[in-house]
Amino acid sequence: MLRWYPRAWRERYGKEFLAMVEDSLDGRRPTWRLRVSVAWAGLRERGHQTRLTSQKALLRSLTRGWLTFQVAGYLIAVLPSEFKASPPPARQWQATAALGVLTAIAAFTGVALLAGSVAAAPAFVRYLQAGGWPKVRRRIAWAAGATVAAGGALAGLVLASLSESFSQLNGSPTYLAGVLATSLALVVALWLWTSVITTAAKRLDLAPRVRKAEKILGMVATFAVSVVISVNVIWYSAIQSSVFQLLLGLTALAATALAAATKIRLAARSGRRLRSASGRGR
Amino acid sequence: MASRRPASGLRRENDPPLLILISLADGPKHGHALAKDIAAFAGVTLGPGALYGAITRLEERGLIEPLGSDDRRRPYQITSPGSAALAAALADMRRVTRTGLARLGLDGGRA
Repeated sequence: MLRWYPRAWRERYGKEFLAMVEDSLDGRRPTWRLRVSVAWAGLRERGHQTRLTSQKALLRSLTRGWLTFQVAGYLIAVLPSEFKASPPPARQWQATAALGVLTAIAAFTGVALLAGSVAAAPAFVRYLQAGGWPKVRRRIAWAAGATVAAGGALAGLVLASLSESFSQLNGSPTYLAGVLATSLALVVALWLWTSVITTAAKRLDLAPRVRKAEKILGMVATFAVSVVISVNVIWYSAIQSSVFQLLLGLTALAATALAAATKIRLAARSGRRLRSASGRGR
Repeated sequence: MASRRPASGLRRENDPPLLILISLADGPKHGHALAKDIAAFAGVTLGPGALYGAITRLEERGLIEPLGSDDRRRPYQITSPGSAALAAALADMRRVTRTGLARLGLDGGRA
């Protein structure tokens, strides 16, 4: 009877479902009506899972694309200019403030991601203990290899920067090529680790509270990335002395703040409504 | 005709998720116990397919959660968001019921 249901559903609910069918039959043979209704429910569940999977796949692809766009866009837009020019003294404060905000957001996002990882860790351990390791082993090996390569390239860059002056480095096409190659290696390593995480995450059996926490942390990280874009534009405007880019960055920052405030207000309103309904129901 | 569906996903009348939440409101139950209880208080017979379809959706939304169990019959309990969603749905239904009764002159004129 269970063959109509998707595999993941059978693994999660199969045993208790069959126990319930046995209890309700009480030793009698299953009727055709029961068989048809179970088959129909199984097909509906397949439809639901398919919709869910396509939504998740879309979300994953958007997330990957977005992150890659961020890193690549940052490298193309900011780094080459930074080697050729530094902000004029009048705009130094703007670049310093933008860099400070970038650092703070990077640290904040890092903490959010770390909290998300810690919250999901017990479910990940359960997944590995239940035979999940072979499913992620190869991806982890690739990601680890890419990390070692990126780490080696980064160490080479640091060594090169110690042996030469800033003016020599800024004028060196080899050093610039090294920076770009290292950045690319870091992007590939990040991409591969993202692949490991998404592969494992879609198989994790997270408790409802953890799922809710992950959703909130994901939202926080997304807004943080949006702020990073805006601050990048402001930083770039300081280097280029461009008022237009400064206004563009400030507008993007205001739009992000507005979107975040709206999201928080809607969530708070929904929470208040549920709490007051809960109070009335008592 | 278009129907309004609340954020909790609970609809009115004999919606299986709503019946399951009402059944779990007085304590955890496993599948068969849920079906028997719902048949007793609502007169609705939920087959295994409909019952587990609703359990799956409710668990996905975090409105119910499974409890640990040594045998195959896994009990479920209502969560805090589940209680709040149930209270909201029932308050909504009470308002509609009162209006209907008042218009029929069966509720002392309270609407």
